[in-house]
Amino acid sequence: MNTVSETSADTSLVDAITQVATARDTRALERLFDHYAPRIRAFCLAAQPGANLMADDIAQEVMIRIWNKAHLYNPATASLNTWIFTIARNARIDYMRKNGRYQSDIDPEDFWSEMADENADPFREAQQQRDEERIRDGLSQLPNEQQQVLSKVYLEGKSHSEASQELGLPLGTVKSRVRLALHKLSVIIKR
Amino acid sequence: MLSCHPTLDILTEYSAASLPLAHALAVSVHLDQCSQCREQVRRLNMVGAEMLASHTETASQAHMAKLKSNVLAAITQAQPDAETEVREGMRYVPESLRRFIPKGFNALNWIHLTPSFKLATLSNEMGGVQIALSRVKPGARLPSHRHTGNEITVVLKGAFSDEDGLYREGDFICRDQSHKHQPRVTKDAECICLIVLDSPIEFTGWMTRLLNPIMRYFHPSSALNSG
Repeated sequence: MNTVSETSADTSLVDAITQVATARDTRALERLFDHYAPRIRAFCLAAQPGANLMADDIAQEVMIRIWNKAHLYNPATASLNTWIFTIARNARIDYMRKNGRYQSDIDPEDFWSEMADENADPFREAQQQRDEERIRDGLSQLPNEQQQVLSKVYLEGKSHSEASQELGLPLGTVKSRVRLALHKLSVIIKR
Repeated sequence: MLSCHPTLDILTEYSAASLPLAHALAVSVHLDQCSQCREQVRRLNMVGAEMLASHTETASQAHMAKLKSNVLAAITQAQPDAETEVREGMRYVPESLRRFIPKGFNALNWIHLTPSFKLATLSNEMGGVQIALSRVKPGARLPSHRHTGNEITVVLKGAFSDEDGLYREGDFICRDQSHKHQPRVTKDAECICLIVLDSPIEFTGWMTRLLNPIMRYFHPSSALNSG
């Protein structure tokens, strides 16, 4: 039984993506699959409980996209976790669009992309790791009610108003819980 | 208080991809121009990433092995994605709109509503949302109008002002139905805006009221237009 315990994209996974990009190494892609595929399935099942076929399709699709886009990954702009989150999020939206939930001429791939950041610098990478660790620790310390709304929003992909209906809370309460949680995670930038 | 950036709530929904696609498109056009909001979304994405990374779903080892072999079979045929190139005449067309504006603004199907004001529909979405561009001549005043639903405007080129302020390239303006205004374009250049309308605009001037049936006709929520 293969249990995946570590939550961070450790250096061996970053090595793996580099090997996929430069050497087209399928063994490296298998390592990425072992780590990420179960997480991507969980991410899809959170949005559509019981939709195992959808979760399987999306997990496979994301791994194929990772293979095709590996050369575009830049560790100075995003951590591997964040890069793969954006791919998984886009693939999930795309799947729902093609299967009728959001009929639209808009292709989410056109813009919900992995944002290229021209200001990326080498110090960013270390800063990013610290930010991520802080967010990871912070998430586990949030009060339950804040964890609950964040998981509605990010894992289940619910809008604030859908979350408010499902939780039976006023919209303003959902919004303020999300903001409070983001504030505690120090995610909000000052303007 | 009027803000020219999307709110934190909107950026959060954008990052979690729970925003309606038409609204998300408008946000991404703003992000093209706004490094502050890009940085905010980048940080919001980290929250999603950490949440994704901390949840796994156990499936049988045989099942996962099957999925893995499917992936390995599929990638032998796959080609790496090429980076897209930018064509001439596309300078003001944000990347996220290029699917709708493949040959530049001039090649779109513009409908003249007044001598100085044109509209081109980019997409009529299911659920009645219209995505369009407005194009107004330098110095022109738009007919006074009211919004019958929420409206997002993003300035792509030029600038305009109304009772509340001046809006420039990249500015993101969210209006609700309570709002009635009469925008005016600055004199130096024409103004092109992306507009996302949940329901049709309603003109309130006595002459321009004649335009209301046209606005309704071109809006996807109209029964007239559904055939």
